[in-house]
Amino acid sequence: MIRLSSICTFISKSRLWLVMLLVCHLSMGSASAQGFLKLQRDTVPFFRGFAVSADLVGLAQMHLSDYGQYEGALRINLHDQYFPVVELGIGRADHDYDEVTNLSYKTSAPYFRIGADVNIAKNKHAHNRIYAGVRYGYTSYKVDIDCLPEKDPVWKGMTQFTISDQQCSQHWAEVLFGIDAEVAGPLHLGWMVRYRNRLAHDEGNIGNTWYVPGYGKQDTSNLGFSFNVIIDI
Amino acid sequence: MRRLRLLPLLTGMLLMMACSSIDCPVDNVVAVNYVVRAFDGETVVADTLKDTLSVWAVRHGGTDTLILNSGVDVKAFQLPISYAQPVDVLLFQVRDTLHRVQTDTVWLSKEDMPHFESVDCPTRYFHRLTAVRSTHVRIDTILINNPSVTYDTSVKHLHVHFKK
Repeated sequence: MIRLSSICTFISKSRLWLVMLLVCHLSMGSASAQGFLKLQRDTVPFFRGFAVSADLVGLAQMHLSDYGQYEGALRINLHDQYFPVVELGIGRADHDYDEVTNLSYKTSAPYFRIGADVNIAKNKHAHNRIYAGVRYGYTSYKVDIDCLPEKDPVWKGMTQFTISDQQCSQHWAEVLFGIDAEVAGPLHLGWMVRYRNRLAHDEGNIGNTWYVPGYGKQDTSNLGFSFNVIIDI
Repeated sequence: MRRLRLLPLLTGMLLMMACSSIDCPVDNVVAVNYVVRAFDGETVVADTLKDTLSVWAVRHGGTDTLILNSGVDVKAFQLPISYAQPVDVLLFQVRDTLHRVQTDTVWLSKEDMPHFESVDCPTRYFHRLTAVRSTHVRIDTILINNPSVTYDTSVKHLHVHFKK
């Protein structure tokens, strides 16, 4: 148990470095080929259209667990190299009274992320792409937290722990890495790993929140994962 | 070859995603810290209560429960605070070396604030002390030094001055 805990602590401390290493590694690999941000010179037009996508991981979370999100994205394709992205979604949590802590937690709110991806594959115009990207996210949400009545251990009176309509907000940033593969015609499938970090947050005077729409659970892991169905328009 | 170089990094990232743990605070005691003080002219100085101190909490219905048992040479002590009562009533009993017993009642008024960490962590209440008063059989003065009662156990919330 101690060993597992220390491993988790080690991973927690080292994960930022690993993600940075990955991004640097990919950047340097691409840079050596043709420059990370340099526009490839060819006859392909600069504007290549749009793509819309939906995240299946958030959808599965929503149906299989007590939190999750419906999320869609609009991506602009600039020369198969640069991809400005807007991601919109609705995050929900409905954690019914916990068996151990007797706590329930409810929230439902929209969120957005904006940012851009860069195709770091050597052949920019191939059917498959490798992305590195960044995002800025924001959500304003309300939480309802309730606990079944509990007895004060010293004074023995019954107390009702209730927080209703607590207004909260959060700004966060993400660094991500992803792969997008063409399946048939305009249909693509892709996954993304996201390293998230809170920039600013306001939970009033309640302490912390548990699930933040678009950001996820505020546990010890800052990593997120999405699996997207993408259609080129 | 390039794909092979990426493989360990991707594997490491996937392993990290699987490693998440509950992050409840370890220091999660919410209690009131009292320190014994005395006036030295205009200055407030640390003091020690040479007699024996016991404290009871008065519950609803008039029953009580012992929350500090026979403290001697008391310089500071920590007492629990109720979750959500507007006023806590405490009985401070001082027994001297001649077995004479003197009892004071302390009324501690407060505001209670629910504090949430995670659905996996037990609930807590933080408090803001708003007023304190007492009888003056053995207690000379009792004052709020810092009204904020949280997980921070280093804060000295109340100063108690006992009569000599």
